[in-house]
Amino acid sequence: MKVCIACGMPMKEVAEYAGGDTSKDYCIYCARPDGSMQSFEEKKAGMIDFIVRTQGFDEKAAAQLAESNMKKLPAWKECFE
Amino acid sequence: MSSKRQLQKESTRKKIIETAYLVYSEQGFNATTATIAKEAGLSHGAIFVHFPSLDELMTCLIEEFGATLTLELHSLVETNKSMEELLRIYLEVLIKHEKFYSRLITERSRLPEEVRMTLANLQSLIAHHFNNVIEREIDKQTVKKIPVHMIFNTWMGLTHYYLLNKDLFSPDTPVLERYREDIISTFLELIKR
Repeated sequence: MKVCIACGMPMKEVAEYAGGDTSKDYCIYCARPDGSMQSFEEKKAGMIDFIVRTQGFDEKAAAQLAESNMKKLPAWKECFE
Repeated sequence: MSSKRQLQKESTRKKIIETAYLVYSEQGFNATTATIAKEAGLSHGAIFVHFPSLDELMTCLIEEFGATLTLELHSLVETNKSMEELLRIYLEVLIKHEKFYSRLITERSRLPEEVRMTLANLQSLIAHHFNNVIEREIDKQTVKKIPVHMIFNTWMGLTHYYLLNKDLFSPDTPVLERYREDIISTFLELIKR
């Protein structure tokens, strides 16, 4: 089982891989409609929206949280160097 | 480095993390690294060979705890679970880690920022599972149309309240296990349409 390089989600089922393609290292939630992986800015904005919508946190706190999460993920390592 | 030494190093590191989990569960995060070393049967210095600072040890520990919880939750939450099944799975996982989790939420403000962030990320993951189920149930009109974050926060508030007041709800036995059915059935009653 792989873990998505862009958000850290374990990918257990084929349907959880981007485009249902198990050779991909990122998940369905981190893919654009055309199947390519989202950019850093796109992913960050998506994570902030998601945190605000599902947990109701303050937007600034949500941004901090999203960044701290992304910092640990292989897909975004170079964005923090 | 020979692979044997590498293995030994890895197993000592694992031992420190496992011992820290137990010591912090029992004594809270004020427990010293000297206590952890003693319980693990290691010299005090050995801890710092593996974890140069206390912050680093705590961060690694919470990250591993998070990874364990993520896997446990993810492997249990199948795509078509109902709200009730999700609540049961969530409490099941929490019951397994009740002592440690309680320490995390009661002592949160005193933990290093990195650790607080890791804990918050863990909550986001739980929110993600909730979101999937709640949205489906709202669509099916089985759950009231309440904003997802308020359903989630109400659930977290309820479970945390029992954990934070364990001394009053269940001084001698684990609190979530004791009140599991009450908590689940009441919460479902509140959100069901």
